[in-house]
Amino acid sequence: MLELIEVHTYYGNIHALKGVSMTVAEGEIVTVIGSNGAGKSTMLRTIHGILRPKKGTILLEGEALEKLPSHKIVERGISQSPEGRMIFPRMTVQENLEMGAYTRKDKAGIAQDFEWVFKLFPRLKERINQKGGTLSGGEQQMLAIGRAMMAHPRIMLLDEPSMGLSPILVGQIFETIVELNKQGTTILLVEQNARMALSIAHRGYVLQTGEIILHDTSAKLKEDPMVQKSYLGAN
Amino acid sequence: MKAEIKLALTMGLLGGVVVFLFGGWSVTVLGILIGVFMGLSIGGRVNKKDGPRKLALQSLSTAGIAAVVFIAVSLFQNYVVAPAGGQFPSELYIVIPANLIGGLGMILFTALTAALHGLPDRQERLGKLILMVVLVIAFPFIDRITGLHWSGQIIFALIFVILGLGLNIVVGFAGLLDFGYAAFFAIGAYTTGILSSPQHHIFMNFWLVIWIALAMAALWGLILGTPTLRLRGDYLAIVTLGCGEMMPIIFRNLTNVTIKEPLTCWIIPGIMRLFNSSAATKCITIIDNLDLTAGEKGINPIGRPYLPFIGEFQSNNPIPWYFLIILLILLSVFLIRRLRDGRLGRAWMACREDQDAAVQMGIDPVHTKLTAFALGAAFSGFAGAFYAAYIRGIFPSVFEFSTSIIVLCIVVLGGMGNINGVILGGIIIMGADRLFLPALKDLLKGLMDHTILPALTSNHTLQAVVAQNANPILYRYLLFGLTLVIMMALRPEGIIPSAQIRAELHADEETSAVEKAVKN
Ligand SMILES: Nc1ncnc2c1ncn2[C@@H]1O[C@H](COP(=O)(O)OP(=O)(O)OP(=O)(O)O)[C@@H](O)[C@H]1O
Ligand SMILES: [Mg+2]
Repeated sequence: MLELIEVHTYYGNIHALKGVSMTVAEGEIVTVIGSNGAGKSTMLRTIHGILRPKKGTILLEGEALEKLPSHKIVERGISQSPEGRMIFPRMTVQENLEMGAYTRKDKAGIAQDFEWVFKLFPRLKERINQKGGTLSGGEQQMLAIGRAMMAHPRIMLLDEPSMGLSPILVGQIFETIVELNKQGTTILLVEQNARMALSIAHRGYVLQTGEIILHDTSAKLKEDPMVQKSYLGAN
Repeated sequence: MKAEIKLALTMGLLGGVVVFLFGGWSVTVLGILIGVFMGLSIGGRVNKKDGPRKLALQSLSTAGIAAVVFIAVSLFQNYVVAPAGGQFPSELYIVIPANLIGGLGMILFTALTAALHGLPDRQERLGKLILMVVLVIAFPFIDRITGLHWSGQIIFALIFVILGLGLNIVVGFAGLLDFGYAAFFAIGAYTTGILSSPQHHIFMNFWLVIWIALAMAALWGLILGTPTLRLRGDYLAIVTLGCGEMMPIIFRNLTNVTIKEPLTCWIIPGIMRLFNSSAATKCITIIDNLDLTAGEKGINPIGRPYLPFIGEFQSNNPIPWYFLIILLILLSVFLIRRLRDGRLGRAWMACREDQDAAVQMGIDPVHTKLTAFALGAAFSGFAGAFYAAYIRGIFPSVFEFSTSIIVLCIVVLGGMGNINGVILGGIIIMGADRLFLPALKDLLKGLMDHTILPALTSNHTLQAVVAQNANPILYRYLLFGLTLVIMMALRPEGIIPSAQIRAELHADEETSAVEKAVKN
């Protein structure tokens, strides 16, 4: 469904992605693990059209995305819960969620998705009129994911959804991701928490300083000695 | 109770200050206006369930205190200040009815407006609307009957209200700092001047020109916005500043426009020269030596609106002008509200809050900002056309930097992002500038000539210094700046802020309120 072919992305002359190739098939959860600064967020931003690749192609069902502006990519069915959450701090929870549905015009569908978000995150419903900036970190994370859901995407890009959350909340968020996936959303998940990510993903890629050094099914990756040593903290 | 007394004293004195400057019948007009304003202010803290009767009765004490203060100032003005300024006090047959109607009017309208708060929401809104409509319609007639002659200057204030409303789209809604808004005002005004004056012997109908002015201003918004809006924040502010500075200079110098057809004038002769041919070609000149804007002396007389039954609008009768500008404001407010509440409005707010996040939501930031810029500019086209027709002439100096800054202050002072706030801000700032300061000047001059200077005859240098500096118009920008500083220190969110901006400026308080709520 989504395919990256030899994608190179630069920040000025910093070569952040050095020819990344990967695929995500419909209905999958695919995770990308890697240490700090490996280029995981850069990869998601490149897919989302916020950064332009210098070389390489990104295909969504055969259509090239890399020349399209961000808003066109959102319209094609890709939404992101970004690193750092990027909640609109002065908008209420409701307004934030409405912004997530900005590109859509089907009122009935939007109303349905509100229900969908509130069912997965009842906490957001309780706080519907609270300003985004005053939510707790965990609530903001829920809002960021909920907002990405409001676009009713075909593929959702999640950048470190577990960041800064208590273990219980991390568990809940990951359950939610599985639930979302079961309901038909394809997921590309970037995580520091490799153990959790590999426990829910079907397949995984290991990114190291801008290059994919390994990819396999989650089960196999968990067994890989290098992955165990570097990312799962085994000794 | 304490809050009510504070409100009563503030309002009484506020009205008093104006009456202090104008005297005569102003006490009647101000009494009613302050009454309405006081009634509205009380509305913020009443218990709706009390019902209209009880609320009206409750407001009486506040209104009474305010009215007493107000009348006291008015009488003091008439019997102490006016004679000291060398004027005769008004006759009793004016003083008694003016103060009586003013004082009672204040109480009555306070009670009436306060009572509205006790009605069900829909009726409350309807009631306020009717009240506003009646006041707005009655104002110019009362103004004429009482001989105050404020309308002419109020019209200027209302022109700036439209400018404020337009700039509010750019600054308040989309969060783009624009220091050169007067450029679009100028384009609207010059379009009108060029299309309906003897300058080019074009006399287009005002009702057509005003739309052309609107379109031209919007078009120039697009032209100037396209290259600049890719910049962010501070950079954009500097570029708009530059554009604003350029505009008067351009209009000053468009006195000798020549446009030659490039093919025959340069390209063909150039080729000829390459081949060393000396055959002369004829250069076709499209426009030769055209005085487009008449430079410093400006364009006048500019054509005026005409309506059946009313005829051509005249300088000595402000009433048709007043209603025309009110109509333009209503139209602007209607359109701007629709824009704000629509998809575009939401995109503006999202870009203001966090442009990167907005992009992730699928918003095209360049398109969003450009529409804000162009639509904001469009409304100044309205203002420009009206202005040109109203004063009958236009001069480049009107559109200097200071005009941009005044409009910006109207938006910030009134309450960024809030339409009603901007309207109020425009009336207050321009009212102060156009009515208040000149009246203060006359008052001071009277006092100087008749009381203060004669008392200083012993010290000639002091007398000369005082006489020279006792003109508040000299301190126009000083006072203006002072107001801004005080206002920003006391109430940075403006007179009537939009909910979001208030949240932004009082974020810590809000958080603590939330924390409190969580703890309980
Ligand atoms: N705006 C930028 N300008 C310059 N360099 C950048 C920029 N953003 C990221 N980088 C660099 O690109 C590299 C990849 O960054 P990226 O944010 O993609 O890492 P990451 O894998 O998401 O790391 P983390 O797990 O810490 O979030 C890093 O070396 C980083 O310093
Ligand atoms: Mg990252």
